[in-house]
Amino acid sequence: MSELGITLSALRARFGDQLRQAVDLESSEELRVAYLGRSGEVTLLRRSIGALPADERPTAGKIINEAVEAMEASLLQAQRRLELQAFDSELAQSIDVTFPSIEPVRGSLHPIRRTTDDICAYFRRHGFAVLLGPEIEPDYYNFDALNIPPDHPAREGFDSFFLTDNLLLRPHTSPMQIRTMQTHRPPVAVVTAGKCYRRDAVDARHSYMFHQCEGLLVAQDVHFGHLKGMLTGMCRELFGPDQQVRFRPSFFPFTEPSAEVDTTCPTCGGNGGSCRMCGGSGWIELGGAGMVHPNVLRKMQYDPDVYSGWAFGFGIERLAIVRYDVDDIRRFFENDPDFLKQLA
Amino acid sequence: MRVPLGWLRDYVELPADPQNVADRLAQLGFPVDAIELRPEITGVIVGRIVALERHPNADRLHVGTIDVGNGPHLTIATAATNVAAGQIIPVATIGAQLPHLKIERRTMRGLESEGMMCSADELALPPEWFEDGIMQLDESAPLGADVVDLYRLGDAVFDVDITSNRVDAMSMIGLARELAATRGVELRLPGFANPGTIDAGAETPRVTIESPDCIRFVAQRFTGIRVAPAPAWMRIRLALAGQRPINNVVDVSNYVMLEVGQPLHFYDDAKIAHHHLIARDAKPSEHLVTLDDVDYELSPQALVIASETGAQGLAGLKGGKASEVTHATTAILLESATFNGPRIRRTSSALGTRTEASTRHEKGLAPILTDYGAARAAQLLVQFGATGYAPRAFGAGVAPADPIAFNVRDVKRLLGFDLSLEEIREYLDALGFQVEPGPAEALRVTPPPWRRDVSIPADIVEEVARMAGYDRLEAEIPTIVDHGIGSRDYDLEYALARTLSALGYREIVSYAMHGADVFEKLARAGIEPSSQPVEVRNPLSEDQRYLRYALGPGLLTYFARVDAPVRVFEIGHVFYREETAPAEAPTLAFGFTVAAVDESEWRDSHFLRLKGDCEALIRELTGRTDVEVTRDVRNGLHPGKTAVLMLDGREVANVGRIDPRAAKAFDVRLPMYVCSIYLENIPDYRLPRYMPPSKYPSTYRDLALVCAPDVTAESVSRAIARAIGSLCTGVRAFDEYRGKNVAPDKKSLAVRVHLQRNDATITDEEADAAIAEALGALSDLGIAIRE
Repeated sequence: MSELGITLSALRARFGDQLRQAVDLESSEELRVAYLGRSGEVTLLRRSIGALPADERPTAGKIINEAVEAMEASLLQAQRRLELQAFDSELAQSIDVTFPSIEPVRGSLHPIRRTTDDICAYFRRHGFAVLLGPEIEPDYYNFDALNIPPDHPAREGFDSFFLTDNLLLRPHTSPMQIRTMQTHRPPVAVVTAGKCYRRDAVDARHSYMFHQCEGLLVAQDVHFGHLKGMLTGMCRELFGPDQQVRFRPSFFPFTEPSAEVDTTCPTCGGNGGSCRMCGGSGWIELGGAGMVHPNVLRKMQYDPDVYSGWAFGFGIERLAIVRYDVDDIRRFFENDPDFLKQLA
Repeated sequence: MRVPLGWLRDYVELPADPQNVADRLAQLGFPVDAIELRPEITGVIVGRIVALERHPNADRLHVGTIDVGNGPHLTIATAATNVAAGQIIPVATIGAQLPHLKIERRTMRGLESEGMMCSADELALPPEWFEDGIMQLDESAPLGADVVDLYRLGDAVFDVDITSNRVDAMSMIGLARELAATRGVELRLPGFANPGTIDAGAETPRVTIESPDCIRFVAQRFTGIRVAPAPAWMRIRLALAGQRPINNVVDVSNYVMLEVGQPLHFYDDAKIAHHHLIARDAKPSEHLVTLDDVDYELSPQALVIASETGAQGLAGLKGGKASEVTHATTAILLESATFNGPRIRRTSSALGTRTEASTRHEKGLAPILTDYGAARAAQLLVQFGATGYAPRAFGAGVAPADPIAFNVRDVKRLLGFDLSLEEIREYLDALGFQVEPGPAEALRVTPPPWRRDVSIPADIVEEVARMAGYDRLEAEIPTIVDHGIGSRDYDLEYALARTLSALGYREIVSYAMHGADVFEKLARAGIEPSSQPVEVRNPLSEDQRYLRYALGPGLLTYFARVDAPVRVFEIGHVFYREETAPAEAPTLAFGFTVAAVDESEWRDSHFLRLKGDCEALIRELTGRTDVEVTRDVRNGLHPGKTAVLMLDGREVANVGRIDPRAAKAFDVRLPMYVCSIYLENIPDYRLPRYMPPSKYPSTYRDLALVCAPDVTAESVSRAIARAIGSLCTGVRAFDEYRGKNVAPDKKSLAVRVHLQRNDATITDEEADAAIAEALGALSDLGIAIRE
C-alpha cells in the first residue's frame, strides 16, 4: 500500500470514529468541514497530488476519490441517523396543554349592536338598505306625517322628551320612513336602526333610552304575507330554524291593517308552562307591524292604489334579552366588564 | 279594562275555558294581559233568615234560623251585627269550600251551628266595597240556589288591552259583539228601547249647546229616586269589573258605561235651575269643586256643563260637588253626551286628571251611544222604582256613516290571500256592517253607527282579516328590485365597531342623558363644555336633564366605576346648539385605563399605543396613510399630551391623556387615555394602489442626533427625507433620550434611515453621500449628530 493509501485509511478510520461519536447534526457538519471542506484534510491531500510524479497521479486521484465517496456516504448515513435522533428527542418533549392560555387582548361588540347587525344583515341579503338617521326630530316626522295628528290618542303611547316646542328625541325610528319616502320614489326597501327615547320610568323591563329596528318596504304588489315571510326568516336567523311567527290584530295610526308580532319563545321552545321568559304563553312579543296606511303613502305622493307596503318596528333590547337570557334591561347600559365579556 | 267573563256570558254563548276565550280575543286584536282566576268556592247557597235570636250563651252572637229552600231550616250562629230576620243572604253549608276555609259542623258556645253566613270577603269580593258584615243578596234570588252560579262568581276576570281606535269595544257589549261575530253565534243584546215615555211638560230638561265641542247631548229626567245600595247582582258585577259600588244611582251610571261604553252623569235635578244645562267653555278663572272635592281653577280651554248658576261639571271628566246625587235626592237629570275627543284629552292632561269616563270620551265616542246609554240607564232606574220621563236629544243627530266603496280585490292585494265574496260579506255582516253590491267586484260597505274607526277600504281589509284570522296570512319572501338606496352611515359605524373590537376594545352603550353633576365636575376641573348644553324640557328626573355634549364625560364616569384597567369604545350621538337650535353629531370615543406606569415625564408609551390604534383605525376606514399629526390642546385632555390627527386639512381625531384635573373631578384613579372621532369628518375610503418593491437590496443607517427638546420626531424625519430625496424609502425615530451625557437643554433622538434604489443595488458610497446630505440639512436646523 502506498504512503497515501496508509494515510488515507488512517484518516478514514479516524473520521469514522469521530462520526460515530457525533451527537448531533452540528458536530457532523463540523466533521464534514474538517475533512471534506475547502481546507479539510482530504481536500489538502488532494491538492498535494500535484507534487507526485505524473504516473502516480491517476492512481492517487482514484484512491482519494474512493475515499471521499466512502466518507461522504458514511457522513450522509450519520446525518440521517442524527436527524432521526434529533426528531426523536424533540418529539419526546411534551407539555401540559391544559395550562391556562396566554390571553390575547380581546375586544367585543355590544350585544345590542350584534343583535342589530344580525337583523340588518338578514334584511340586506334580501335587498334592503340600512339607515341610521338623526335622534332629534321635529314632531312632523315623528307624528303628523305618520298619520298621528295633534291630540290623536295614539300620541299617548309615545310619551316623548321635548327639546323645543316642536323638536323632540325620537320615540321611534319611524321618522326615517318619512325621510326615505320624501327623497325616493318606490320601490323603497330600508331598515332603520338606532336609539329612541321615551319617558318610561326605568325598571327591569323598561328604559327611557332603547334601540329600535324598523323596516319599510313599499313597491307594487307588496302584501302582508311578505311581511310574515320576512319576519319569519328574521326570527329563524336570530333564534333558530324552528321559529314560528304569529300576527295578532292591533292598531297603529300609520298602518292599516296592523299587527302585533310574536315569535315562538326560544327559551321554552313554545311549550310555555312555567317559562319565565314568556310568562308561560309560549310566545315572545316582538313589536308592531302592518301595511303602511294609505294616508301616509298619500302624504309622500305615493299612490296607494298603485303601491302598497309594510313596516315593522321592534325593540332590540327585548330581542337581546331573549337571545342572551339577560335578566334586566339596565345591564345593557351598565356595561359591566364581566357582562360584556360573557356576551362577547 | 277589567272584564268579568260572567258578565260577557249575558250577551254571548262562550266556551267554559277562559283561556279559549282569551285566545279568541287576542286573535281579534284584544290581547288579554292577565286572566284572574277566581278562587274555588262551593256549597254557598241562597238563604233567608226566618228568625233571629240572641245566642243563649254569648252576648255577641246571634243565632239565625235559615230557610234554604229544599230541606230543613238550618241553625247558624253569627257574630255579624248587620243581620235581621227577612234578609236574603249567602249561606255556606256544611262541607262548603270558601277561599281560606272549609265549613265543618261545629259548636259555638254550646250550640251546634250548621254552616256560616257569608260576608263579601268569603265570596272573594273586596270587603271594603261591601256592607260591613253579612252580604245582602237580592229578593229575587231563589232560595237554595248556588250563589257562585247565580252571580257567576266562579268565572275568571280578564284584563283586556283595548287599542285606542276601538273605544266601541271598551264595553261588555262591544267585546261580546266581537266574540259573537267571530264565533258565528247570536249576540243577545238587552234592547235599547227607552222606557221613559211620559211628557214632563214644563219640567222637561233643556240643554243649550254653546260650544261645538259638545256634539250631542241626551237629557232625561227621573223622579221617585230613592238613593240606596244597588242590588247585589249589580254591585257584584261592578266590583268584579273593578268599580266600587256607591249607590243605586251612581252604580247605574257606572254599570251602563261598562256595559254599553257610554259614560253618563246624573245631576241632582233640584240643584239645576229650570232643569236647564249649558255646554260651554269655562270662564276665565271660573272655579269648580268636583265630586272628589278638588277645587279647580279653570281656563276657557276647559269645557264645562253648567246650570244657569254656574259650572256643574267638567264635560266628559267628572261631575261637580254642587249638584251631586245625595241621600236627599229624589229627582235626577241624566246626561248622556258625545264630546269632541281631543278637547276632552287636552283638558284632562291640562288638569292632570283622568277618569274612566274621560278615557272613553277622549277617544271620540259614537253619538249613537248616547241613546243606548240613556235607554239602558232608564231601564235600570225604572226597574229600581224610578219614574222616567221622555228623553230629549240636543245637538247633532245620529246620522249613518257614509258608505265606503270597497273593491274586494284589495283583500288579495293587501293580504296576499283570496277570500270569496261570500266570505267577505259574511264577516262584515257579523260585525254589523251593511254591505250592498256595487258594480263588478266593488261593494258599498256602510260601517255600523258605533264604529267610527272604519272609513277607508284598508280599514275594511283589516276587519276582514281579523275575522278570517291573521293565521291565514301565508309567509312569502318578496323579491326586491334595486332601489339605489345606500347604507353608508351604517357601514361606517359597523366598520368602526368591528375594527375597534379587533384592536381589543369592548363596546359600551351608555345613557345619553345626565344631570347637572357632570357640569359641576367639569367646572371643578376648570373645563368649559365645548358648547351650550341641550336641555330636555320635560325630563323624568333631574339626573336626566341634559343631553351629552361629548362622550368623554360618560367614559370618565365609566372608568371611575370600573376602577381597573379596561379598554372600551362607544359610538353615539352627541348634542349641542347650533345658533340656538339643538343639533347632533355621531361620534366615537375609545380609550383605556392602565395600571400606573413609571416613565420619564417626556415619555408616554400608552399615549403612543393609543395613537397607534387610532392610526390603524383610520387606515382601516379610509385606506389612507397620510395622516398628519400635530400637538394641540383639547378640552379635558392633558395640554402637553394631546395630538390632533388630520386628513385633507380636517381634524379626524384627537388623542390624549385625560387632564389630571378632570380625572380627579370624576374620581378616575388610573391613568386614562381617550381618542375622539367625529364620524362626519372621516373621508370616504380610498383604494390603496400597489407599488412593487425594488428588486434591489436596501440598506439603512442609524443616526444618533442631538436637538432641542421641542423638535419633533416627525419634523426631523421629514427634513431627512426631503434632503435625501428618492433614495430615502423611510425614516423612523426609534429612541429618545434625555439626561446623562446629553446637555440639559437638549435631547437625543435616534432615527433609522432606510435607503434603496429602484434600478440598482445601492452602494455604500451612495448611502454615505445621502446621509451627509441629510446631516447638512439637519445642521441648518440646529440638529447635530451626537458625539
